[in-house]
Amino acid sequence: MAIGTLPVTATARGSLRTRVRELLDREAILGPLFITPALILILLLVAYPFCMALYFALSNAFIGRPSTFIGIRNFVRLWDSDAFRQTFQNSFVFTASAVAIKVVLGISLALLLNQQLWFKRVIRGAVLLPWVIPTALSTLGWWWMFNSLYSVVNWTGISLGLMSPPGPNWLGQRYYAMTAVVLVNVWRGLPFFAITILAGLVSIPQELYEAAEADGAGALARFWYVTLPMLKGVLAIVVLFSTIFTFSDFNIVYILTHGGPINATHLFATLARQVGIDSGRIGEGAAISLYLFPLLALIVFAQLRYVRNQAN
Amino acid sequence: MASMTRRTFVASGTAGLAGILASRVAPAVGQTREISYLCWNNFAPASDKKLGEIAQRFTKDTGIKIKIDHISHMGPQQTKYASEVQTQAGHDLVEMRMHFPWLYEPQLVDISDVVGELEKKYGKAIPSAYECGHVNGVWRAVPQYHGMFVATYREDLFKKASLKVPDTWEDLYVVGKELKKMGNPVGIPISQNYDSISTAGPVLWSFGGMEVDKDGKTVRINSPATVQTVEWYKRMFRDCMEPEVLSWSDASNNESIQQGKAGWIHNPVSAYIVAKQRKLVTADGINHHRSLAGPHGRHETDTPRFIGIWKFSKNIEPAKEWIRYLLGKREVYDEYIMSGDAFNLPAYEKLQDHPVLRTDAKYVALKGEGVQYHAYGWPAPGSEKVQLITNTYLLPNMLAKAVTGTSTKDAIAWAENEMRKILAG
Repeated sequence: MAIGTLPVTATARGSLRTRVRELLDREAILGPLFITPALILILLLVAYPFCMALYFALSNAFIGRPSTFIGIRNFVRLWDSDAFRQTFQNSFVFTASAVAIKVVLGISLALLLNQQLWFKRVIRGAVLLPWVIPTALSTLGWWWMFNSLYSVVNWTGISLGLMSPPGPNWLGQRYYAMTAVVLVNVWRGLPFFAITILAGLVSIPQELYEAAEADGAGALARFWYVTLPMLKGVLAIVVLFSTIFTFSDFNIVYILTHGGPINATHLFATLARQVGIDSGRIGEGAAISLYLFPLLALIVFAQLRYVRNQAN
Repeated sequence: MASMTRRTFVASGTAGLAGILASRVAPAVGQTREISYLCWNNFAPASDKKLGEIAQRFTKDTGIKIKIDHISHMGPQQTKYASEVQTQAGHDLVEMRMHFPWLYEPQLVDISDVVGELEKKYGKAIPSAYECGHVNGVWRAVPQYHGMFVATYREDLFKKASLKVPDTWEDLYVVGKELKKMGNPVGIPISQNYDSISTAGPVLWSFGGMEVDKDGKTVRINSPATVQTVEWYKRMFRDCMEPEVLSWSDASNNESIQQGKAGWIHNPVSAYIVAKQRKLVTADGINHHRSLAGPHGRHETDTPRFIGIWKFSKNIEPAKEWIRYLLGKREVYDEYIMSGDAFNLPAYEKLQDHPVLRTDAKYVALKGEGVQYHAYGWPAPGSEKVQLITNTYLLPNMLAKAVTGTSTKDAIAWAENEMRKILAG
């Protein structure tokens, strides 16, 4: 009897395999199948925490206590706090200056890395180091360098006669402190700019430069009329990412200044931690974190639209 | 012995299994009892080692396994606590600092029975421990030890320059001017850290001031006593200190005196203990003196530490057994305190004259005769709003504003306004 049933089973198995193969050949099925694992991860690790944060921001949640929905009261009340208003201002100053400096230095560094250099690969790899080292660790190094007692920055400056003793109070004076946190953010973020822009540079067709040169364009004109327009798309994406990351920076400020002096370097993330975790007011903390979400969402929307138009 | 039929065996077995499943607790017989304890890296590392040894003996004596995890004392522990509470999972026991029992009140087991036993044996818990651990009429955490702030100075430099050891905050200004001239300024942080509050509080209290009244609702920062405090800070900043204090972290004043710069700091004994352990050249010269007085007496910041048990713990009784073992057995508690090299002092009244204070002549000032010890925000209770005032550094920021150019009146008005908004929120 077994001999008789074997061909039937094999045929059934064969037809099942064929059907699966046919299904997988269809884009409408294979596409979602590939996306599903990533989608599950995004739902669990991004969407769920985001929705939780949104709920917390709209509630009077306090660690370990029952909470109730209070609408946008947290967002309104935050504006009364001097520390929050200061944080709001700091975030824009910090992000605008850090991103602007990173754009200028990033393009310069990318142009430099695009030249024929000795040990090009090693240098390109080394440039990435600040971006690869864990931020908390590298910022501790910077903290040591700006520390009032051990500052190697001041020691060098004084030794070279560039500073008069005791040198700038890097982390204790509001403008110096902001300079310090921006400097470390630039140091850390510059490789991301440089390498991404370098990728953009490499993809610019050489003929464009040759044609410009034939038309008598100098180095500056070639940069202005060829390089920069060709980099627009890459720059838009890099600036978009960097703006979001810089707005939400935490480690640098938390380690270097703890938000001080007198809240002069607090960013949304550090203030959110101080209020939400240290003081238990999760609702207010979440509202601080999400305060700029609508604005950032608009920036993302506008910039992505711009990039899409450029591509078309 | 009554014989058991197959039918009764199945019936009783099923009922037992149903009971276990319903209660989610395994039967005591054959059950391995295990508890977990989250505590901080102690400022006196030998104390952590001793805790591990005591835990091993505890397991041997009681059969209860204990797993001790250490975490950095500032920063990460609050994130950890928040996540344990939000997820209702984690350690059974947690070490807590100052007002934490207020912050986590609804999540902590009422532990008044254990504190009652300890108080019967060792006398009342010290006032600062009561202020912080006794929340709305219930002990939410057991006082474990405390560490207070004390005047720490370079005795060798004082002797060399024939400076008088100060007795009041005004005396400190007089010697501070000389110290700054010598290149050894006074080191009191005026920045966004807890040490800044730990000094600003005692100065304010000594001048008769407070941030919020004991009702926890009325802001009292705008007072003549605060004006005196701010003016004192302004003079100190100008004549006795260097601008670096505006950038200091909790560790900076310790490092400054240990590295030979500061001539006087206000800190727990850790500055001296670490200098001694690391055999720094400054160790011999560092000493402590009696806490400074103001027109309204001598006050110091005290940081009591506690052990709390989360309500979500499934091992509340074994957890209590650990606390009784560590703190309730006099010889074990003494052994633990002695290992802390006077950084961890007993939190009960009858034990205040502890032998640990006689292990080094430089610990005499820690007896704190005539000194009143309080936690941050005193005399206000440690409500979550008062803690927000502390955690947003309003007191040091008010002082920082004043010493960097804002008028005394405006700086105080700013602090008053911010405190009012917090209490009204």
